[in-house]
Amino acid sequence: MVVLEEPIKGVMELRNYVDGEWVESEASETRDVVNPATLKTIAKVPVGHREDVKAAVDAAKDAFPRWRRTTPLTRARYLMTLKQLLEENFEELSRVLTMEHGKIIDEARGEVRRGIENVEMAMGIPSLMMGYNAEDISRGIDEVLIKQPLGVFACVAPFNFPFMVPLWFMPYAVATGNTYVIKSSPWTPLSMIKLTELIDEAGVPPGVINLVNGEVEPVSEILENPGVKGVSFVGSTKIGRDVIYKEAAARGKRVQAQCGAKNFLVVTPDADVELTVSSLMSSFYGNTGQRCLAGANLVFVGDDQGFMDKTLGIIKERAAAIKMGYGLEEGVQMGPLQAEHRKKRVLGYIESGLEEGATLTMDGREFSCDPYPETCFLGPSIFEGVSLDMTIAREEIFGPVMSVLTAEDLGEAIGMVNSSSYGNAASIFTRDGGTARRFQYEVECGNIGVNIGTAAPMAFFPFSGMKDSFFGDLHGQGKDAVDFFTENKVVIQRWP
Amino acid sequence: MLRTTSQIIGHHSGLEKKSAEGYRALAERHPEHRDMFNRLADENHRHMARVERAYRLGVTDAFEVGITPNQLDPGDYALEEFNGKSLSEDVATALRNEERVIRFCLDATKSSGELLPDLPDTFEHLVRGKRKRVELLRSLT
Repeated sequence: MVVLEEPIKGVMELRNYVDGEWVESEASETRDVVNPATLKTIAKVPVGHREDVKAAVDAAKDAFPRWRRTTPLTRARYLMTLKQLLEENFEELSRVLTMEHGKIIDEARGEVRRGIENVEMAMGIPSLMMGYNAEDISRGIDEVLIKQPLGVFACVAPFNFPFMVPLWFMPYAVATGNTYVIKSSPWTPLSMIKLTELIDEAGVPPGVINLVNGEVEPVSEILENPGVKGVSFVGSTKIGRDVIYKEAAARGKRVQAQCGAKNFLVVTPDADVELTVSSLMSSFYGNTGQRCLAGANLVFVGDDQGFMDKTLGIIKERAAAIKMGYGLEEGVQMGPLQAEHRKKRVLGYIESGLEEGATLTMDGREFSCDPYPETCFLGPSIFEGVSLDMTIAREEIFGPVMSVLTAEDLGEAIGMVNSSSYGNAASIFTRDGGTARRFQYEVECGNIGVNIGTAAPMAFFPFSGMKDSFFGDLHGQGKDAVDFFTENKVVIQRWP
Repeated sequence: MLRTTSQIIGHHSGLEKKSAEGYRALAERHPEHRDMFNRLADENHRHMARVERAYRLGVTDAFEVGITPNQLDPGDYALEEFNGKSLSEDVATALRNEERVIRFCLDATKSSGELLPDLPDTFEHLVRGKRKRVELLRSLT
């Protein structure tokens, strides 16, 4: 058994980064950060205090006028330096992610890469934030649109992609001339600590990017502090809609709240079985099912029982062979859930599926994670005979559980997708262009995959989402992010 | 068994390193061909870096990573030690080792095609380079 070297030795005591300095939290209480695969405590993170955020927002407000006047090209060069440092520290960042979250090293490296992609995208800000103009809108009068930064923005990071998600927002915010406060996930704060160390090393001026650790209190302060012009959030629909969107919008802040999901993957009988199965495996079981783009409901279209049996047979064969364990161990294909309570939640859904009459044809509870403690581990599960009225077909499970449904035809399958309150992602597997076009045209989801299991938009596209999966107008990443972090000012001018 | 992309990359790096070590030893043992064997060892390190770079620049959590349908047995590609009593025996061992690395690259091409877009091209490129090494080694005997 080859286990990659752990970059974190002992127990780290985490501090906030405010105005270019590492400072203690005002909160005396801390929470243990636990490696979910080994159950070893790897850090102590402060629970956070309103005063921590106030200090960070004050520092960001002070830094804003200078940073705004720093030219876009110079701001981009700071990001170029950061990008270089991220490349140099790529492996350490990836291993930290595996240690705090549990995801396997391939997934962690993939997350770091996708985070870096957003830094690369934001490096193009001198072009991206250009406005436009029209000459002679009336005789001798010109009209110009200028994109300007607003001030201080903040993000509230999730546990499942603790490194990548803040980078959906922060690089664009600071590239456009705003200053920033990151509130890390209290469950997985370490990759943000490492990122901030690199931000410091890159020489980003004090106050431009600040990091606050903690739980509820810092979030409340972000939402209520009048110095914060906008908030980005990724997490559950309950918090995103009922707290973040409601509270921030009520105070006139800009909001982008990317929330929960229940993603349907629809398979037609003409689909390429090998490609489909490979995609499904990654979609349902990658990141141990803990992503808002994860496959949840698998829908077979039509009455070709032979095709369905063959496809499910291969899926089961592959799922049964998945090796669970510590993500730093070579050859491990699925890590643990991030924390014990998350496993209990998924177990509750498995019980619910059984109680409501679904057939559990693969039981993740029976998988071995030897020699690691089983506290957070749960293998892949498959439910067959699932109907849309069952809890497991409607609610977000956020774990490695596949629910198999059937639809008579494509219309019924699309109706199933659209019956969900969520609208994050949906995929279709088919060789027929007309089928694919109808699916992408009619399905009410923000991210559509055609023969793609995990429709994750690249940094130069917005990470979309609809209905209960997104609250706000402009999404993270890409041009949407540039627009979110800038105000359009129109100048109409005449020179006598 | 090699089940994940990182395992495939790691195993490839191991093969290239071991191959390089062998050529360094041959450079000492056969000084009349020192430059050539050292060049082959340097090239092993460049091949290793090329594959690692292709992986690092292309890896993504979004698509199919981590669960490869084609598992590779590392025992199939084990390299031999250089214990020859003559140049021709050592070259024969080197040729067998080169063929094994080529076979690994070809098998990895098939496996990684499911996983990452740039890896198959990189492995195929390496195979072309390694076939030239085979010709070079054959010219010694």
